[in-house]
Amino acid sequence: MRRIDGELILLWTLPATIVIWLAAFVLFPGFMPPMSPTMSANEVAAFYRDNAAAVRSSMIVFNWFGVCLVPILILIVMQIRRMAHRTPIFSYAMLGCVASGPALFLIANVCWLLAAFRPERNPELTQLLNDFAWITFTILVPYLIGQSVILALAIYFDDQPNPIFKRWVALFNLLVAAALVPAAFVGVSLTGPLAWDGVLSFWVKNIAIAVWIVVMGIVLGQAVYRERAERGSRGEELVDA
Amino acid sequence: MSAVITPPESAATPPAGPLHQRIVWHLSRSPKRELWLAWATMLVFYNMFFPIFFIVAQVQPPPQPTWDHAMQVHWFNERHLGIPLGLGIIFAIGGMNSINNALIAYSMRRMSITRVFGYSYLIIYALSAIPGLYLLCIALIVGTLRPERNPEAIEWLYDFAFLSFDGTMGVFLIGSLIWMVAILIDKNRVFPKWFGYLNLCNALTELVVAPCWIFRRGVLAWNGQIAWWLDMVVFGVYQVTFIVMLFQMIRREDFGTGPLPDLPRKKKVAA
Repeated sequence: MRRIDGELILLWTLPATIVIWLAAFVLFPGFMPPMSPTMSANEVAAFYRDNAAAVRSSMIVFNWFGVCLVPILILIVMQIRRMAHRTPIFSYAMLGCVASGPALFLIANVCWLLAAFRPERNPELTQLLNDFAWITFTILVPYLIGQSVILALAIYFDDQPNPIFKRWVALFNLLVAAALVPAAFVGVSLTGPLAWDGVLSFWVKNIAIAVWIVVMGIVLGQAVYRERAERGSRGEELVDA
Repeated sequence: MSAVITPPESAATPPAGPLHQRIVWHLSRSPKRELWLAWATMLVFYNMFFPIFFIVAQVQPPPQPTWDHAMQVHWFNERHLGIPLGLGIIFAIGGMNSINNALIAYSMRRMSITRVFGYSYLIIYALSAIPGLYLLCIALIVGTLRPERNPEAIEWLYDFAFLSFDGTMGVFLIGSLIWMVAILIDKNRVFPKWFGYLNLCNALTELVVAPCWIFRRGVLAWNGQIAWWLDMVVFGVYQVTFIVMLFQMIRREDFGTGPLPDLPRKKKVAA
């Protein structure tokens, strides 16, 4: 039996998550603007020495709240289960994607915190931690691309008069997936659009993720509320097996 | 738990015509299209996966653990473009792996056993990709990023990458054993029992790679005949076999809950 009590609480954690993530993003001194990959080891060490407090506080906030998107992604999994599919393949595949994005992000997060922990460390080691953090943060796209494409396929195969998500949501997800692809090639260059501070690897990727969260939050909310209304009009408490 | 809705089974017969038209029909209109799409994804993924590691990035077969700093730095320098480009492709297509795992989890869902097996496999293999694939790729990419980096740091990345690749064992060990037990106790005849034992062979290779954490030379080192070559051969056989097994499972799938029917004898083309 799939029960829906509590879904609204989880759904409405999203605006709070967005506010917290945005605040932590702005607070981290390495994001606005993104740190340059061409900084020397001494410059990187100086950055962590001068900004230790802001790096620690922003990354502790990200460490606390980095996994907050998981319940939202599981809500999407539940909506995929309502689609007119013959097998649960798409919800399984989506479930397999849910935790890997946050796991990779937390590795980057720990590297940033480590770099700030002993600012007096040999600058070459601080630079290594900084490189590891930035490459991991930028390249964590495989499961974000995966979940967008899986969701698009699931929507495309949802053959029913009133599909759970409209067709444009599938196209939107494919567009977001395409926008995330260049970040996978962040290691190719230390300068230019593919570098970790570049237009494609930083701005396009992170803006695509932000837009995805907002748009999917809205369409997910509509789907969740519509399901509740449909159940209410049918006088149902519980459906499904 | 799943709210699987069965669409009408109209137009369930594949059209006659050229092969590519039939393939398109199976992937877009067939009642089994979700399964075929997942299977095709698996086929594409593994056909890209190995050439990328062996030919584009040239990070497999692995280099010697005994090399000195100069050789390690030289090894990274030779691949300063192949590694970020090739492994970049792995990061771009990595999500396909989740569809592969979903299909294998589905095979366990079709068995006469608890759903716990399928879900456990799905989560274990989702986790396995991080230490077993992505972390080592990141270490290699960071290794190529700055040729002027301190050779000791390069060595740390070198060790990290290849030990993470060979030495990530438990997730594949337990994952394979879960699939094995599922196949052996299943009464729906989803897979032949010998395939269950092949899972055991794959699981056992995870035991023999453990010494790579100890030995830097010889058959048990990370590039040794046992720890790498034997492991790779068994995995190659296992992987080709499970792709064929899943193909047969989809052909036989009747979307029921009882034993999977055998294929009609005269039917030669994939359903």
